[in-house]
Amino acid sequence: MSDKDKMAKYRTEIQQMMFVSGETGEPTPETTTLIESIVQDQVQHMLRECTNLATRRGSRSISTDDLMMLIRHDRAKISRLRHFLQWKDVRRSVKDSDDKGGDAGADVGGADADLAAGVVGPAGPGPDAGKKAKRAKVDLVWDVQSFFSENPPLMEDVEDEEEEEMNFATLQRLKNADERTKNMTREEYVHWSDCRQASFTYRKGKRFKEWAGFGLIDSKPSDDIIDILGFLTFEIVQTLTEEALKVKDAEDLYKKTTGAGEPQNRLKRKRERGLFDPPEEAREPVQPSHVLEGYRRLQRGNNKSRAMLNFTRNVQRAQLKLI
Amino acid sequence: MSRPPSIHHPSSTERQYYARPPHLPLNAIRLRTPNPNLSDEAMSNGSNNNNLGEGADTIAEEDPRAALFRDHYNRTEARLLAVLGGGDRHDSGDALRNGIESRSDGPPSAHDARPAATPKKPARTIDEDDYGDDDDGDEEDDTQTSPLLAKSVPNGIAAAGRDTPSLRIPPLPSKLSIERTSTPSSDQAKTSDDVRKRLQQEKKAAEDAAKRSFHTLFYTLENDRDAMLEQQKLDELDRQVETEMSGQPGGAAASGAPAAPQQGTLSTTNLGASSLTLKHLIARIDAQRDRVHASDAQLRSLISEVRKNRSKWANEERVGQEELYESMEKVLMELKAGEHAHPFLQRVNKREAPDYYIIIKNPMDIGTMMKKLKQLAYKSKQEFVDDLMLIWTNCLKYNADPAHFLRKKALHMRKETEKLVPLIPNITIRDRAEVEAEERRMRNGDADADAAEDSEDEEPIMASRGRKAPSKGGKGTNNARKAPPAGPEGTPGPDIKTGVPGLNNAVSNLKNEFLRADSEMEGSINGFATPPPGTLTPLGPNGVLRGGAYGSQADISEADGTGASVSGFTLESEDADLDDLEYKTWKQVTKKDRATIAAERNRLFRGDQLNLEEPAIVRSKAGMRKWLRHRKHALEEDANEASALGSDGKDGVQAPTGETLAEGMEGEEERQLPDYYDPVCAIPDINERLQWVEDTEGHVIQQFEEYMRVVPKGYFTAPDSALAKKMESNMRQMQETRKICSKIGIVRQMQREQQVYQNQFQKYDPQPFMEADIDPMVVSEEGAVIAPYVCRTALQRSVGKIFFHAGFEEFQPSALESITDIAGRFFQNLVASLGIYRETPKMKSDVPVPTPNGETTDWIPRFTQEEALLHALHANGVDLESLETYVKDDVERLSSKLAGMHDRMRSYYAELLRPALDGNAGADGAGAFNDGSEQFVGGDFAEDIGEDFFGFKELGLDREFGLTFSVPLHLLQNRMHTVYATQNTNNVSTTGVLMEEPTKFEPVTVQTVTTQIGLVQDWFRSKLRDNESLIEDEDLPPKQRFPKPRLPPTGKISSPRKRPLREQQQMARKKRKMDEERDENRDDAAGTSMNRGLGKPIGKLKLDMPAQKENAGVPEPEKEDGSAVGMISPESILAA
Repeated sequence: MSDKDKMAKYRTEIQQMMFVSGETGEPTPETTTLIESIVQDQVQHMLRECTNLATRRGSRSISTDDLMMLIRHDRAKISRLRHFLQWKDVRRSVKDSDDKGGDAGADVGGADADLAAGVVGPAGPGPDAGKKAKRAKVDLVWDVQSFFSENPPLMEDVEDEEEEEMNFATLQRLKNADERTKNMTREEYVHWSDCRQASFTYRKGKRFKEWAGFGLIDSKPSDDIIDILGFLTFEIVQTLTEEALKVKDAEDLYKKTTGAGEPQNRLKRKRERGLFDPPEEAREPVQPSHVLEGYRRLQRGNNKSRAMLNFTRNVQRAQLKLI
Repeated sequence: MSRPPSIHHPSSTERQYYARPPHLPLNAIRLRTPNPNLSDEAMSNGSNNNNLGEGADTIAEEDPRAALFRDHYNRTEARLLAVLGGGDRHDSGDALRNGIESRSDGPPSAHDARPAATPKKPARTIDEDDYGDDDDGDEEDDTQTSPLLAKSVPNGIAAAGRDTPSLRIPPLPSKLSIERTSTPSSDQAKTSDDVRKRLQQEKKAAEDAAKRSFHTLFYTLENDRDAMLEQQKLDELDRQVETEMSGQPGGAAASGAPAAPQQGTLSTTNLGASSLTLKHLIARIDAQRDRVHASDAQLRSLISEVRKNRSKWANEERVGQEELYESMEKVLMELKAGEHAHPFLQRVNKREAPDYYIIIKNPMDIGTMMKKLKQLAYKSKQEFVDDLMLIWTNCLKYNADPAHFLRKKALHMRKETEKLVPLIPNITIRDRAEVEAEERRMRNGDADADAAEDSEDEEPIMASRGRKAPSKGGKGTNNARKAPPAGPEGTPGPDIKTGVPGLNNAVSNLKNEFLRADSEMEGSINGFATPPPGTLTPLGPNGVLRGGAYGSQADISEADGTGASVSGFTLESEDADLDDLEYKTWKQVTKKDRATIAAERNRLFRGDQLNLEEPAIVRSKAGMRKWLRHRKHALEEDANEASALGSDGKDGVQAPTGETLAEGMEGEEERQLPDYYDPVCAIPDINERLQWVEDTEGHVIQQFEEYMRVVPKGYFTAPDSALAKKMESNMRQMQETRKICSKIGIVRQMQREQQVYQNQFQKYDPQPFMEADIDPMVVSEEGAVIAPYVCRTALQRSVGKIFFHAGFEEFQPSALESITDIAGRFFQNLVASLGIYRETPKMKSDVPVPTPNGETTDWIPRFTQEEALLHALHANGVDLESLETYVKDDVERLSSKLAGMHDRMRSYYAELLRPALDGNAGADGAGAFNDGSEQFVGGDFAEDIGEDFFGFKELGLDREFGLTFSVPLHLLQNRMHTVYATQNTNNVSTTGVLMEEPTKFEPVTVQTVTTQIGLVQDWFRSKLRDNESLIEDEDLPPKQRFPKPRLPPTGKISSPRKRPLREQQQMARKKRKMDEERDENRDDAAGTSMNRGLGKPIGKLKLDMPAQKENAGVPEPEKEDGSAVGMISPESILAA
């Protein structure tokens, strides 16, 4: 029990994140613990890989580039991450220019929420700040400018086409969030946007480092790295939750069509919604089994990693996939 | 006593139906007995039952017909006789035919035979002169010819007394009756000839059919091994027989008494098989016998010497042996070569079948028969046939189980035997001495007993019946003894009819025939008469009780086959061959040759390995010729079939070529095998272009120009696709941008440093990407040119291109290698999986699909091309989406990004250059000449680069003024540097200047020199005289600067300003150089390079006017920049 308690450091955060991701019920501690361990595993894996990359580069400490390298195939995530880093930069400069303005914390918090779910609802102060301060472009190491020996300054008038084109994934995400918040009352929405600020790292840097095992690899990771990891952990929880919900929906549908479990069936009929019934409130939360199934699905390998093993007798040892 | 030699003779069954007219005189009957079989109308007509093989089937149903016919015949004959006046003969003629059998039933006596002989004699005497000339029919009465004597019974001479009046004592039968007697006899001979001929024809036809099927059917080689083994066994057998025989040479025919010097007819002499060829000569000699003064023996030996092709069987002393043995051997060989003969080739091994010799008392096998044949142990056909039949009977007897596989073989062999037996002439071998003695006797005219025997002897039928008896044993007794078996044996017909009616007929007939032979054999062996027909029970189909103790066993075993199944299906199924007829014939026909070939090949192996010692199978001319002939034949057949459709000219071309190859060069015996058995001798089709073709005027058409073709271009270059074009334009764009980059680099360097030399700048001179194709190559074959290393290099080049496209300017060769390997492997996988999907078995479709050649098929491929491709891609982890993303993001968007980058670079470059062109320079930079414009003239800077620095050339100024506008580098550098310095003061200052710089010393000039201390004034003056101006140490080029003294960490100043030797030397050299260059390039002398250690090779400086570049719009096609050195870049990769 104590072991579990020790492990479950982010129960509230995870619950909040799950709520934001569409889980309306209250997940059991087992579920959150499971999710937490998954996330922890993922983070540690990421850090391991990053260290490998850094070592290969000849550096002793990991950089943001390493992290981005890890997730380079997920274009949506990359673009969101860049977005996030840009705004972070903007905030920093704003903070500098505002000369230690009083409510920096709130400002950052608002921006944090913004980064977590994209620009939704009432726009935070971020965009305004962005108008003021020139946004630093977060360049990927493999992008075009690295092709050339000289790095000319960014031209003012050149519109970055990356900004313009909205990623499909981002749009989908926004749409989902919109769906979830459509029927909310004002209070509910406030609660929901509060929950959006849940983070593994925000103001919990020390706890996070400890939790993720930073001590072993890099005792002083840069702020950026912690932030990126915070962003990524949120993404992981969200993806997991969404997948688990899908699994649960499928299961429910199956149960409904096949009528699995006679007593439940009777119960269900009783619970069948009438016109004037109160809205279904306490949905059953996702169970650990759903999460596990969702995790399994997410870990399912594709043929690409196996392609070179075709026509050989080698057995593929699947690597942990980053969610 | 007299019976047809052939066990199949239907007459024996039919005779039953003719009741003997009781009033007939005995004599009349006897008159005809010598030729009882001739009386059969069916035979004389030659229409019915000539074929012994089928005779068995038709007997039963034929009877009524035959009866009718016979009746009819009798009547017409009676009428004829009446017309011709032979009234009383008429009856006797009928009696003759009808009464024989009943007569033969009676107790045998020599007396019976005697009267029969008498009428015969005249017939023969008449015959004598025109012997053997029934074809010609020139000399005398055709009707009297006796081909029986001439052909089938050449040894039936004994009766040939020429002038034996005693023989004419009995009343001569009318000519008609003679005719009647002789005609059927000739017919009989003919029929047996016919049978032989027909059999031969059938065989021939079968062979032809088999041969024809060579072209149309492909027979597998699976039976060859069996054939080989059997053949080996046969050879073994032959050898065995040979060795056994060699011990006892000579053969049995040693009994030749010297021929009596008596005159006889030559025609009566047995001259063996080839006597026919000398027929006319012999006839002539016979006719003119009086004039020939030579004894018979002399003539005989003469003629036999003349004759060619005497067989090994020929023996002067043994009359009839040659012919008989020839045919017997042939039959035996034929049987031996059959595919079912295998189990019967050798004696049954006691170890294999312990109880065999208990059950089978008289074992027989083909090998033994061969031996007997070689030992000349057979005296007559019947003995031989009996032995043969004994083999099969034994087998059937021993293997009583109806399902036994050997039974099938035995039955088959028996059938075969029945077919072949008629080929053997009915000859009884006799010693010449005996024959001659007979002749003598005949001539001497002692008629009685001998006549009877003669009558027998001249009749093959009788002879065969008689076995060895007539020649050896006492004749009289022999007759007596022989008669009983003949009687009952001749009458199995009724047995069958009564016993097995209806369904069983065919079967039982077959059985019956066989059994007859069987029982005959038994009879002859045991000397045991079969019971009269009456004893037969109706149930026992074939006379189970017949035969002796020994025979009954065979019968019982037989009865299993037939009696067990009423309808005879068992037998049929036993008899039925599983192979179809054609295949069977083929097997039969080709067996020997197949075996030979299989053995030839088998010899090449020892164990399971090739035997190196063994000589190889080589092609022979004969084989090649045969191959060509086969081919031609097949082509002709094809052409005949296709003639309606119109033949194409190609055959015409080929046909003559087939003939030329040594036709008739060497005579090797023809093998009855299809071509594919002799692949060594096959001649491949000659390529059309290599063929010798003549045009109409006989000139050879030259075709050799077409042998070769040049490999089409573009085999090893990237296809000209839209994607490739885009990628190439991207790469060009990158090169352009890099050019600007290098210029920027130079400008920045100029800004940072005080002195810049031209040779500091490496040329950046990117080559355009040209994919080199392989050199023109000539090949003689169609198809892809595949050279692994070329392919690999081409792939490497593509990989290099992609590298460059991905932004790598340079890369390690090892990286390129490994990526190439991976890519190659990946594509192999991709293609392999594509192959798997494409080759998935087809599936049945509901709707017929038309094929390209106009037919429809129910079978469609499992995957369409597209599906197969998608599956293959999927299996290798590629989906269309990712491909599309690549094209969209990494190619198309990259190009826009690159364009943006290019613009940025250019504007940045323009920014950098701008300070050099200060405000008054004007838009096109011409204003730059306003201050010290002469400085721009005569320099070598821009010319070296070959760059139109300020765009003057573009403006056409150079032509206008006849000037060269090249900008001295140092001028440009000066301006750049100063402007940059002023602009970026803070930059410079931030590099860690902690202290304010001290004010500069006032430079010493001629004017100010007086202010200096007097001591040094002179030195200054002299210096100034030399150099006009003095330079501060600080301003010296770095290399010429004196190293500044530094305080070492120890805090001690060890030796002030002590220069190392090397530095002094360098100083001296520099000074000399400076002196030399002083006049032209004073400033240059002051500058020196600082940045030797610049990491990246930088292209030669190339400076563009930004404005001009913008005008250009499209990247210039000209390539003027240098490429990187030392590393691989895609430009340096060449294919092939």
